[in-house]
Amino acid sequence: MESSLTSPVLPAAARTPGFLRSFAEAVRDVRQHRELMLEFARRDIRIRYKQAVMGFGWAIFMPILIVLSGVMIRYAMGQASGGGIGQTDIAAIALKGVAWSFFAGAITFGTQVLTANHNLIAKVFFPREVLPVAAVLAQTFDTGIGMVALALFVPFLGVGLHPTLIWLPLLLALLWVLTAGVVIFLSCANLFFRDVKYIVQVILTFGILFTPVFYEPAMMGVKGSIIMWLNPLTPILEGLRLAVVEGHNLLLPLTTVARDGATVDVWRPASLLYTAAWAVPGLLIATVIFHRSQSAFAENV
Amino acid sequence: MSERDLTPGIEFERVWKKFQRGERHDSLRDFIPSVARQIMGRGPTAAELGANQFWALKDVSFSVKPGEVVGIIGRNGAGKSTILKTLTRIIPPTLGRAETRGRVGALIEIAAGFHQDLTGKENVFLQGAIMGMPRSLIRQRFDDIVEFSGVGPFIDTPVKRYSSGMNARLGFAIAAHLSPDVLIIDEVLSVGDFEFQQRAFGRMKALAQSGIPVLVVSHQLERVAELCTSVLLMERGEVRFAGPTLEAIRQYLAVEQVPSDPDSPVILEQIALESGEQLRSGDRARVRLAGRVNPERATGKELVVLSLRNLQDGRTLAAITSDHGGVTLPGSGPFELEFELELNVQPGLYGLDSSVRVKAQTRRGDIAAGPGAHVQVLPGRPFEGTVQPNATVRLGAEAPVENLPQPSGNS
Repeated sequence: MESSLTSPVLPAAARTPGFLRSFAEAVRDVRQHRELMLEFARRDIRIRYKQAVMGFGWAIFMPILIVLSGVMIRYAMGQASGGGIGQTDIAAIALKGVAWSFFAGAITFGTQVLTANHNLIAKVFFPREVLPVAAVLAQTFDTGIGMVALALFVPFLGVGLHPTLIWLPLLLALLWVLTAGVVIFLSCANLFFRDVKYIVQVILTFGILFTPVFYEPAMMGVKGSIIMWLNPLTPILEGLRLAVVEGHNLLLPLTTVARDGATVDVWRPASLLYTAAWAVPGLLIATVIFHRSQSAFAENV
Repeated sequence: MSERDLTPGIEFERVWKKFQRGERHDSLRDFIPSVARQIMGRGPTAAELGANQFWALKDVSFSVKPGEVVGIIGRNGAGKSTILKTLTRIIPPTLGRAETRGRVGALIEIAAGFHQDLTGKENVFLQGAIMGMPRSLIRQRFDDIVEFSGVGPFIDTPVKRYSSGMNARLGFAIAAHLSPDVLIIDEVLSVGDFEFQQRAFGRMKALAQSGIPVLVVSHQLERVAELCTSVLLMERGEVRFAGPTLEAIRQYLAVEQVPSDPDSPVILEQIALESGEQLRSGDRARVRLAGRVNPERATGKELVVLSLRNLQDGRTLAAITSDHGGVTLPGSGPFELEFELELNVQPGLYGLDSSVRVKAQTRRGDIAAGPGAHVQVLPGRPFEGTVQPNATVRLGAEAPVENLPQPSGNS
């Protein structure tokens, strides 16, 4: 029907800017539209608590389930090996559970944020970056409530106030940056390929077993723990446990002796750098991919 | 192509936009082969069309400067929405340059950001933010917005309980309280009830006439005629005409005309509006219609009909036949008819279409269509409720044969 006899003569409008320039553009866009971003986050939070049976109970529902599962698993492990489960173990599982539920919740919700707002994307212009970032912010609010609930409940488990608590902000910041990078990338991927959200759901369902939420890497022995430490979430979760529950200074290494007599690392300070090496470039790369592909969103959403 | 020009405006320079017909690959399984093709260099380049691709815009250029109100008209699929989406940066042009300078206020999809579970108030802030209003500005204009929308007592009710009219009114009210440097208006004039439409149009007209650059896309030709200083007529992705508003509308309407069939017993060739194309309500329009009788086919029972049609809704308001005026067409050869009718109609755009019918076979309707003209009716004598054309018909330059009342339909 249409022939290409009439062909355009002008060259394409603009060249793609460099990597860091793209990132700077994305950051500028988000800064300029931060009010819109907060408005989206506010909307997501409101909707979650409106007309909901549980209300703010939602924020602690998933962490509570995670803690209960953790206690079950640790109880079973204890029965098999003759060990037990202490109060601080429960506190550690609760803390790591809240962190995991932030990661998993933000990804579940954030992966679909562009497709859920397809109406807006196809019809109104604004920098699309604000949507996934707002999704992470809304999850941050939920997790904040979970954290407050945890802070009220942990003292009853015999966990004192350790000075190493000052590590908490850094660990949470790392978790946030890592999560934001994953969410930004996945939201963009799910816009182009609708099967991404299913893949992500499957991975998240089983991911908790490959992440030391219910147990500690050292329990896996020398070889097993090496594999566990490859997971960039491991240093964050173990860091949280050691700094908040155990009062261990994260600048110092820690080892334990396994049942076969070998020495297993419980903590290596450099592992925080390992996670940062995932989180920071991850966020940069994801943002640039997102920023460069967003002009194609409206036609593909 | 002044690079550092900072006056607000719209610039559209040689824009081409390619679209895909049919399904795109949206799962990985389809995507990989297509990417492989691209990498191997088998895919189409930007300037070429691949399979199932077509140009939604072909080399479209125009600009809107301060003080100008440019309208875009054209049929569905002519590329009007694509122009707006390209202009508002929702989709990128395949080739060429689309640019707006200054803060753009787009009266497009005015309730797109509404969330059904949120209250009217919450949605005002959300939608305002989506449209680029700072929160402080929304707070400052909140009362005006609510008052303009007329949803007052329901502002704290979730919008899912709103009627569709309330929804649209609230959306429009937010958009109307933007203070943009550049205004883009899409078909939002048909929002709410009649009273609100008048108010909305008044508001828009005030914005449009405040001297900022304005782009209007609409099917409501009389609104376009009233607002615009010039018009772009689009056809299948191309600019068919760009220039004075009425000329563009004439060309647009001319596209819809069926040419007279040379095999018809009576061939209508030419129509002329002797009284001009702009009249006031209540004025008399004089139409001269030239034709020819084909003696081999004519039966002597043919009639010439001139119908007055409202171009907004396409309804025929009155039909004047040659025999009503006591005129008998000649047995063969050329003839000229002069119709005179009173435009007892609402202000707006009207078409005057000619056609041929057969006497006593009214059920068969028109057997041939002839040329048409159109007239813009401006406010004049108050409209009285019935279309009373008080028409006369005469042949050639003769005196009117009869003056007849011609009741037919209402507005």
